[in-house]
Amino acid sequence: MKVKILEWKSFATWHWDLATSADDSGYVEELCGICRVSFDGTCPNCKYPGDDCPIVLGSGCTHNFHLHCILKWLEQESSKGLCPMCRQIFTFKEPEQTSDVLINLKTLIDGHRVMRERFQQGNEQEFEAFGADQDLQMA
Amino acid sequence: MSRVKRIAKELEECRQDSQSGVILKLNNENDLTHLTGYFKGPPGTPYQGGVFQVNIDIPNEYPFKPPQMKFTTKIYHPNISSVTGAICLDILKDAWTPILTLKSSLISLQSLLQSPEPNDPQDAEVAKHYLSNKAGFEETAAYWTKLYASPEDGGEFGSVQVSDSALYGIDDEIVGQFENMGFPRDKTIEVLRRMGVKSFKGVGNKPELENKILEELLKECQ
Repeated sequence: MKVKILEWKSFATWHWDLATSADDSGYVEELCGICRVSFDGTCPNCKYPGDDCPIVLGSGCTHNFHLHCILKWLEQESSKGLCPMCRQIFTFKEPEQTSDVLINLKTLIDGHRVMRERFQQGNEQEFEAFGADQDLQMA
Repeated sequence: MSRVKRIAKELEECRQDSQSGVILKLNNENDLTHLTGYFKGPPGTPYQGGVFQVNIDIPNEYPFKPPQMKFTTKIYHPNISSVTGAICLDILKDAWTPILTLKSSLISLQSLLQSPEPNDPQDAEVAKHYLSNKAGFEETAAYWTKLYASPEDGGEFGSVQVSDSALYGIDDEIVGQFENMGFPRDKTIEVLRRMGVKSFKGVGNKPELENKILEELLKECQ
């Protein structure tokens, strides 16, 4: 039998290659925990999924988010630079090409680190001052 | 606006989930930022059998800032103000993270009813009652549940006469004692509440305490 193809339409699907969804049995749709939209969709402020609204992979923990969502969270002082899921200090896997938004993310994470260090130092100083005070009394 | 989409999603999710026992309702169909949550008192606690109503206001920065929640149902609990319904719970304050949802927050409130933290109180009077006399506290909490949190069609509560002394966990006997001396009932309860006296049980020096109460009452009734 000879078949003559007159017309054909092609389809393609895509999804983000996330470390945690490496399940051979099939692809499980995962949601960004912050905006509750699928990773393959966009964060609430973007129109086009994919490269315009990328995903960030947590490297300390394995929790992933839309880049724009985690940025907004880390902009909050109350976030203390922690992952929303597990409250570990949030760090991320750097992809090969960097963008401005990624640099922003890095700056935010560094900012939180500085704040933490300053806070820790402050505590130590207070402790030392307290110790000195005691010495004085002893003398 | 980002929060509107998320709230709509959360509402839909909660509507489909009949397992959680948590109900979310919009106060006004056109406004996604003012909601009311309902859940049942956990079994095995004085709150069992009650349905508790929580007022939810969602800030502009949601989900990056926590929703503001407070009880509209009056409740007797160390971490909830018995007057305003304000709640002391870390995840509604500095431990909030955006992965928490309205549903999970309400479930946390439900578990707060199960495990009070009297050492970090919102209502000091209630916390004191809890720490000094747990059985008495539970009786009062159960009484409040019956009085304020019972479903209206339950019938159980319609006929209950409000007892002002039971409301504050004060032994009716003491109130009666001073009432017999001629002090007005409301003043007696007010003074006993202020002094934190609930009952004479376990009081070492009863006459001394009686005298103190008398003194206060005399001052009050001058």
